[in-house]
Amino acid sequence: MQITITVNGAKRELEVTPYTRLLDLLREDLGLTGVKEGCGKGECGACTVIMNGELTASCLVPAPQADQAEIVTVEGLGTKDDLHPIQESFVEAGAVQCGYCIPGMVLASKRLLDEKPKPTEKEVRYGLSGNICRCTGYAKIIDAVMLAADKLAVEGSDSND
Amino acid sequence: MKKFGRGMATIMFGFGYGEGFPDHSIASIEIKEDERIVIRTAAADVGQGVITTVIQIAAEILRINPNYFEVVQGDTHKTKNSGSTSATRQTYFTGNAVKKAAEDMLANLYHYGSLEFRSNHPEIAIEDGRIYMYDDPDDYISYWEMAERVKERGEKLEAEGSFFPVTYSPDENGQADKVYVAYTFLSQVIDIEIDTDTGTIDLLDVYSAIDLGKAINPKNVEGQIEGGTVQGLGMGMMEDQVIRNGKTLNAGMTDYLVPTSVDVPKFKHYLVEEEDSEGPFGAKGVGEPTLIAAAPALANAVYDAIGVRFFELPISPSKIKKALKEKEKEENS
Ligand code: FES
Ligand code: FES
Repeated sequence: MQITITVNGAKRELEVTPYTRLLDLLREDLGLTGVKEGCGKGECGACTVIMNGELTASCLVPAPQADQAEIVTVEGLGTKDDLHPIQESFVEAGAVQCGYCIPGMVLASKRLLDEKPKPTEKEVRYGLSGNICRCTGYAKIIDAVMLAADKLAVEGSDSND
Repeated sequence: MKKFGRGMATIMFGFGYGEGFPDHSIASIEIKEDERIVIRTAAADVGQGVITTVIQIAAEILRINPNYFEVVQGDTHKTKNSGSTSATRQTYFTGNAVKKAAEDMLANLYHYGSLEFRSNHPEIAIEDGRIYMYDDPDDYISYWEMAERVKERGEKLEAEGSFFPVTYSPDENGQADKVYVAYTFLSQVIDIEIDTDTGTIDLLDVYSAIDLGKAINPKNVEGQIEGGTVQGLGMGMMEDQVIRNGKTLNAGMTDYLVPTSVDVPKFKHYLVEEEDSEGPFGAKGVGEPTLIAAAPALANAVYDAIGVRFFELPISPSKIKKALKEKEKEENS
């Protein structure tokens, strides 16, 4: 069957089976390998994407359900030479070790900061709690999100000037 | 009711395979005409940061900005053996191999420099990717030009280093001259709060003092401490593999709990830099030792908070509640 989705701003028409997972569609068909598979059952957050503004475990979404949806993956945030302020903050805070959880973490941070531009540390902790990281102990990831909030606030005030 | 507790534990950890096992690492460095310095090592970076570490080491020895470096890693066709990324050994072993390769490269730069300038090593300066005579810094040869000239001689501007320390298997009394290449020491103090109604432990603060010789990259070191400690705390308070008749009953993250961002404490680190005589720039390994003290320190904190000793992990809320009930019964009888 045919579905239409907008991925990272580009509209795509795709042929899918009813049982294709959104995760596989993004990784295999569109080559967006920033979307990771950890558990495959909605428990770890590695496959997180932003779908219609909400954090979504793409391993649990049958592709037909994503018809007409707007999806953002980590590839939609920044490029290697032009990082998004959140990605920049992850680098600066030393928040990345093996990196497997990081695309999901970055998107969870984005979703949180879109809603709460000035989160408390507790709000950051809850905002990231659906994403499991086995390497970092989370401390530097939490630092990174606080740093990103500051950066985005400065950027925002610049553009208002 | 909430009860505060503080606990401490200290550990030592001999790293590398040790005990006489042949343990080594080999690395090489090449300077290319196209402004790249390539390090070749099979050391696997699984996120602990060995790639960053070896670049820092080589850049320091070769007196040039780390941005010029590129690492070819983990390809048996292109790299020689560096041993496994295990036993907390890569910074020490591959760090040393790369340091030796870089020192050999520096020697080559002096050697070819003295040929080009028809002079002696003491007259020659090497700094920021340039080779020149001390008294005439403007007339320099860049590393890249040097690579070109060495190529014209039919040679390559490359160097290799290897690190083969010797250890000994302990005798029947467990003694030997050097069982491991070196030891890392860690003390941790953990502050917690226990809710006596629910039996849950809130992790407040963790203070870690680690004798790691030298922190080549302090941020990476902190990341290792935080990650290791959180794994140790997971083992201490929630991670419980339930096996019945040879089958794991909780093989999934819904019932095998690991710490999340909500569970973890705040950290404060004290890096004790007592340089090791053989480590690269005095550095020792920090990976695994960071996990070991957490659970015992936690158990001590639990004892401090509620006066109960636990001898089995994890110290789960149900175990705490049960122990508190038993304690109450004892005190009332
Ligand atoms: S892979 Fe989707 S939540 Fe783990
Ligand atoms: S950095 Fe390895 S799982 Fe998060």
